[in-house]
Amino acid sequence: MSGLLIQCQDVWKRYGRKEALCGLNLRLESGKIVGLLGPNGSGKTTLIKVLNGLLQPDGGTVLIEGEAPGVRTKSMVSYLPDKPYFAGWMRVSDLFDLFADFYMDFDRARAEQMCQALQIDTGLRMKTLSKGTKEKVQLILVMSRRARLYLLDEPIAGVDPAARDFILSTILNNYNPDGTVLISTHLISDVERVLDEVVFIQNGRVVRQDLVDDIREKEGKSVDELFREVFRTVPYGGGEWKC
Amino acid sequence: MLIKLMKYDMKSLSRAFIPMWILAPIVAMLFSFSIRGMIAWENNPWLPGFMNAGNGILLAVTAVVFIGVIVGLMVMTILFIIQRFWNGLLKEEGYLMFTLPVKTWELIVSKALVATLVTCISSVVAVFSCVVLGVFSSGEVIRTFAYMWRTFLEGVIEIDLSFWVHLILLVLLGITGAVKSIYHLYAAMSMGQLFEGHRVAGSCVSYIGISIAFSVIAGIIGIIVSYADPDFLYRGIYYNGKDLWGIFYLSYTLFMTMLQIVIFHVISERILATKLNLE
Repeated sequence: MSGLLIQCQDVWKRYGRKEALCGLNLRLESGKIVGLLGPNGSGKTTLIKVLNGLLQPDGGTVLIEGEAPGVRTKSMVSYLPDKPYFAGWMRVSDLFDLFADFYMDFDRARAEQMCQALQIDTGLRMKTLSKGTKEKVQLILVMSRRARLYLLDEPIAGVDPAARDFILSTILNNYNPDGTVLISTHLISDVERVLDEVVFIQNGRVVRQDLVDDIREKEGKSVDELFREVFRTVPYGGGEWKC
Repeated sequence: MLIKLMKYDMKSLSRAFIPMWILAPIVAMLFSFSIRGMIAWENNPWLPGFMNAGNGILLAVTAVVFIGVIVGLMVMTILFIIQRFWNGLLKEEGYLMFTLPVKTWELIVSKALVATLVTCISSVVAVFSCVVLGVFSSGEVIRTFAYMWRTFLEGVIEIDLSFWVHLILLVLLGITGAVKSIYHLYAAMSMGQLFEGHRVAGSCVSYIGISIAFSVIAGIIGIIVSYADPDFLYRGIYYNGKDLWGIFYLSYTLFMTMLQIVIFHVISERILATKLNLE
């Protein structure tokens, strides 16, 4: 199923004097896995926060399925922040109750199956879980929803390669195929294989948006190579990095 | 949705508060028993001296524990109000709460209602514990209760309608006063989160700033009223020969308190809806 899902037109967001989004334009359709790629500080997290209603843009238009971010769009957006957002006193099962109460599209049975497969005891309090297990629980909650839009902010940052594989396979095996997954990351080589489309963002603007197949066929490059080309910076003292 | 939000806030409070609410009257009872022990020794000087020393230690320990529990309950209540708003909405948990499909005002009202409930229950428990202490330490528990009940019933028959109106207004003023104090904290924290890197200091400054601003406004209103009608404070308000000044004053204070609640709510809601600054 395709159709316009995200529409951003001339979106601005400032933090004091610093401009995080500078007239950003973006259109994304349903049914795709899209990489939101850019170096640190390029505006990826700000864009995701604007899309899920955590931040209000200073200017421009943001529409998700034709509506400005609000209560209705929040019910169809599944958001994975780049940090754990649980209260320590809550049990895993409390979080399932909370998601079941507030999100009509939450598949509790699927969440419990995933916990069982990962041997996570749903009776444990969040404060007793390790950092890695907390991240898994958060991912399970987010991917157990049949959402129209998944916004995943740096889901594989700061984890080991085995955990990256687990995270990416969880996303691939559990997302709603009618929805769109927007993955923000700067670890291109790890996510490249799962992406249908990429959006390159720099200094708060979209500098390139292409289908991954087109990049490979027309330019004969991987997304990782293209990323390095687009965001290449000259090392201190001049010259090139030797890999 | 508001009820569902409150359900989770209630869950967070029940773990910490229910044990304290049960403990406070029990400790009050133990303290009263140690007081009775001391009175019994003084009335029976033939009892051995070590019993006096033992009673003294017991009295001191139970007194410290009782005061500790009551003070702890009050401190816990204030910390709970601040912590549930600060951690629940303005720190990491905010990423979860503000992406739930609910309106910002529902998040704030849910926290405020639960905080008010906790404040009211903690206050009632503290007063009840003091009553338990007074009644049980008298040594004539049933007779004291019977006397209190009889006095109350006799009083009810004698007092007129205006007493009940005063009482209801006072109770409403107590509850709205608690809500106002809670919202004052919420407004200050909402403003404080805007101070990037100095959120706690910003909240404290905002709290003081709001207090000063409202004191100045109240002062200006007072000056205007006293200029407009210098005898206002001394003149009674009579209806059918009864002075309704007290009822008027309580109603006015109630209205002003509710107005402040609305102002604090609007400040908190607008800031969190449009200028949320999560860590």
